[in-house]
Amino acid sequence: MRRSLPFELLRYAMILLIIAISLVPTLWMLSMAFKPIAEWSASGAALTWWPENPTLDNFRFIFGQSSSELIVSLERTAARPIMASLLAAIVGTLIAMTAGTAAAYGLSRFGKGNNLPLALIQLRLFPPMAVMIPLMIMWSFLGLIDNWFGLAVVYGIVTLPFAFWLMKTFFDDMPREIEDAALVEGCTRLRVFAVITLPMMRPALASSALFVFIMNWSDYLIALLLTTRDWVTIPVYMTSLSSSMTGQLYGAKAALGLIAAIPPVILGIAIQKHLVRGLTFGALKE
Amino acid sequence: MTQIALSNLGKKFGSFTALAQMNLTIGDGEFVALLGPSGCGKSTTMNMIAGMVDPTEGDIRFDDRSILDVPMSRRGVGFVFQNYAIFTHMSVRENLAYGLRAQGVSASERNRRVNAMADLLQLTPMLDRRAAGLSVNILQRLAIGRSAVVEPAIFLLDEPLSNVDAAFRSVMRSELKALQRQFSQTLVYVTHDQLEAMTMADRIAVMDHGKLLQVGTPLEIYNNPQDVFVARFIGSPGMNILEGTIASSDEGKLVDLASAGRSAPLALSDRAASQGLPEKVLFGFRPEQVNPDPNGIMALPVNFVERIGARTILHLGGDGIEAKAVLDNQIAMPSIGDILRFSIDPKMVRLFDPVSGIAIGGDI
Repeated sequence: MRRSLPFELLRYAMILLIIAISLVPTLWMLSMAFKPIAEWSASGAALTWWPENPTLDNFRFIFGQSSSELIVSLERTAARPIMASLLAAIVGTLIAMTAGTAAAYGLSRFGKGNNLPLALIQLRLFPPMAVMIPLMIMWSFLGLIDNWFGLAVVYGIVTLPFAFWLMKTFFDDMPREIEDAALVEGCTRLRVFAVITLPMMRPALASSALFVFIMNWSDYLIALLLTTRDWVTIPVYMTSLSSSMTGQLYGAKAALGLIAAIPPVILGIAIQKHLVRGLTFGALKE
Repeated sequence: MTQIALSNLGKKFGSFTALAQMNLTIGDGEFVALLGPSGCGKSTTMNMIAGMVDPTEGDIRFDDRSILDVPMSRRGVGFVFQNYAIFTHMSVRENLAYGLRAQGVSASERNRRVNAMADLLQLTPMLDRRAAGLSVNILQRLAIGRSAVVEPAIFLLDEPLSNVDAAFRSVMRSELKALQRQFSQTLVYVTHDQLEAMTMADRIAVMDHGKLLQVGTPLEIYNNPQDVFVARFIGSPGMNILEGTIASSDEGKLVDLASAGRSAPLALSDRAASQGLPEKVLFGFRPEQVNPDPNGIMALPVNFVERIGARTILHLGGDGIEAKAVLDNQIAMPSIGDILRFSIDPKMVRLFDPVSGIAIGGDI
């Protein structure tokens, strides 16, 4: 279909507008992260898009090397929150993916009735706050408050329904003949799962894991409630980047935000080819 | 080398009967084709032999030993799927070696057999390529090779050629037959393509709606269909079936075919004669048996002329009657609207009961 020129112009104008609106905050963060205090704390006409004296001061600051210009000193550096975020998100993703994949395979291949899959997704119908307070009490009894492992377990539970549903869809789509072919050749079910099913599911596993990881990585609420000091995560730590003298430390926040954006981007690039395959999954001619 | 015996085999999915009362014995080293339209129960039968589906009644025996309790991984059958079921994350070599590895065959023996099979199926050049990018034709060869390499006593093929292109299909037909001769396995072949069944099978089992209608050699099935469905299904085009009424003449009984005229006096077998004929019959004759004859006592208008190269198919009919004639191109071809007068050799006429659809008198 051939569209008229005005229509095409309008279309591209709209696309550019939407891209601009969604990119401005990200680009602003990028610019802020490299601005010295005088520039990021300026106001009005003194605010510029491009840092006039680019500096790594903000990064040095959050890692504890206080520069002369920043008169506040931090109670703790960003190193530990970054580690807390990584540990909790990665272990949480592993828990959700392991349990979710196993449950999805079982229900996809041997499940009878439809209640269990629905019940699992209902975990997500609760408002998180409704369960978080009782959970906090349970966790404090177990000594899991302010502990990366306690956080990871909650992350695993919270994202399990997503891992389960994503994987179940992929397992449902996988032709059963492939497994039957392997079984008929004399393999046990467990071996077929390990040697045939899982390797063929690699694209599905990769895209589900990325999805679950991003959910865990970007969590603020759960970490806010379950961590207090030693194991706060990046989003929680970020709120502490302010001082009574200078107010919000926007430069430091921008620098931390930039760091926080790195793992999902790297993961996304690493599994890019799987992401496409994950969507067009299907080993056979139907 | 194994004989397969199905006795009173049946499968119900809920209230739907996929297969009922199937009795069939497949001899050691025999090539049997299960032939029928989609949904006739042929794949269900095959899946029960392989152990992927449990029957709801009846028994399956390999060499007089019931195997209903034997899990599919220990039945020792090879199975080729319609959609190949190739392990796309492995190379061609790994695919071929898979079954041998599962059986714990030593590495050197494994190599030898994989190479021999690759040679036989012309897969050697792509042995170390990943299976993911291969063409449909190669995938199907690979699927056959992967099952054949373990040399199963029973080889089951479920419509293996229905996705490959026509030229390759004819190549594979002869290769499959050669492969089976070489290994002389007991082979069950599910297909809806009668050409495959006719060209490869020792015996054909024709099925429809979960019932086994007739078992016989390709020629038996073609010449003496026991059922009006088999008559229509086998042959391309299938047998013409016209409704008729038995009438008498000086030369004996014949069939009145209403507007199509009357048949020549019937050449009834002793059995049909002694059985007696119902008043109404279905009058069957092969399109190839239509014999243009200016003095023929049968006549039908020509509706459509279909040229297929060496031969021409005439679509005949009118007044609710439909028939086809296959003629050699050498003869003068009538054109649309002409009346074709023809005769049928009485020996080539097959009669069926209009109610039960069963052939009258067996071989006439």
